[in-house]
Amino acid sequence: MTALTKPVVHITIGGVHATNEPTIIRTTLGSCISACLFDPVAGIAGMNHFMLPSVVDGDDSLRFGVHSMDHLIGKLMRLGADRARFQAKVFGGGHVLNTRESDDSVPRRNVRFIRQYLEDDGIPIVAEDLGGYVARNVEFDTSTFKVKVRKLKGLVIAAELLQKEAPKDTEAPKTGGITLFD
Amino acid sequence: MSATILIVDDSRMVRTLVRGALEAGGYTVLEAIHGAHALTQLERQTPDLMITDVNMPEMDGLTLVERARPQARFARLPILILTTETAEDLKQRGRQAGANGWMVKPFSPAQLRETVGLVLERSRSGALFARKSGTGAGSDGRK
Repeated sequence: MTALTKPVVHITIGGVHATNEPTIIRTTLGSCISACLFDPVAGIAGMNHFMLPSVVDGDDSLRFGVHSMDHLIGKLMRLGADRARFQAKVFGGGHVLNTRESDDSVPRRNVRFIRQYLEDDGIPIVAEDLGGYVARNVEFDTSTFKVKVRKLKGLVIAAELLQKEAPKDTEAPKTGGITLFD
Repeated sequence: MSATILIVDDSRMVRTLVRGALEAGGYTVLEAIHGAHALTQLERQTPDLMITDVNMPEMDGLTLVERARPQARFARLPILILTTETAEDLKQRGRQAGANGWMVKPFSPAQLRETVGLVLERSRSGALFARKSGTGAGSDGRK
């Protein structure tokens, strides 16, 4: 199956997709992060797209890295992946839309978060393209585990694209449901 | 209401998040990194409540419940599942294994504390296991 014939899944902020089928997962990133995780032996791979590293009370959705990563890893394991074999490729964390570069900026916090999360979980980063003053188009091929990154360097172009790619308000689920068993 | 809660999750950051939410409610928190580790922890100390993830290496959370619940000393241990899984078959397996509730991530710290408080209250009043007759009968309490 060539790249042209593989199904394409487009994710935006809060999106998580995992599969054991050859698929192209695509997204556009500004200050957000996408982690491409894969088990090369099982042929299972997935990608997420999150906006901020951690949670604040009252809005604990998949837009936040900790839940998004947990969700992605859970989906991969449910498909039969062995987390001991996970490898990661991580992208994003660009300073766009007039965000100033500082230790406390969202892009820098996102970059620190993803590196720390993967280190904590013992998942090696085998490729990365993080930071800078660019937006990025990312395409992850889940059969070859290769990632194509197209950098969008004009801030105006990046802003337009990011606006176009922005999720609908309802796209990222917030808190999940609770069922108490009798 | 003071209580000791064992949280079982393979993600350190999720454990940190859950710990923070529970400690803000005055609870004492113990941690385990997967189901097998939790069984070892339970050998040492029986908590007032256990919260476990489902997908974990070594031993998943549903197997943990299936192993722990039949033991007499854990027969009345309140157990909540906290997972990204929403599949009905998994939820039913959790229920059959003896879990007392199923919470889907992402979670709000306030919502987590509220649920834990409710389950502990029902446990202490004797209501939590009052209708358990070994048949797994009953309907979902709330959504």
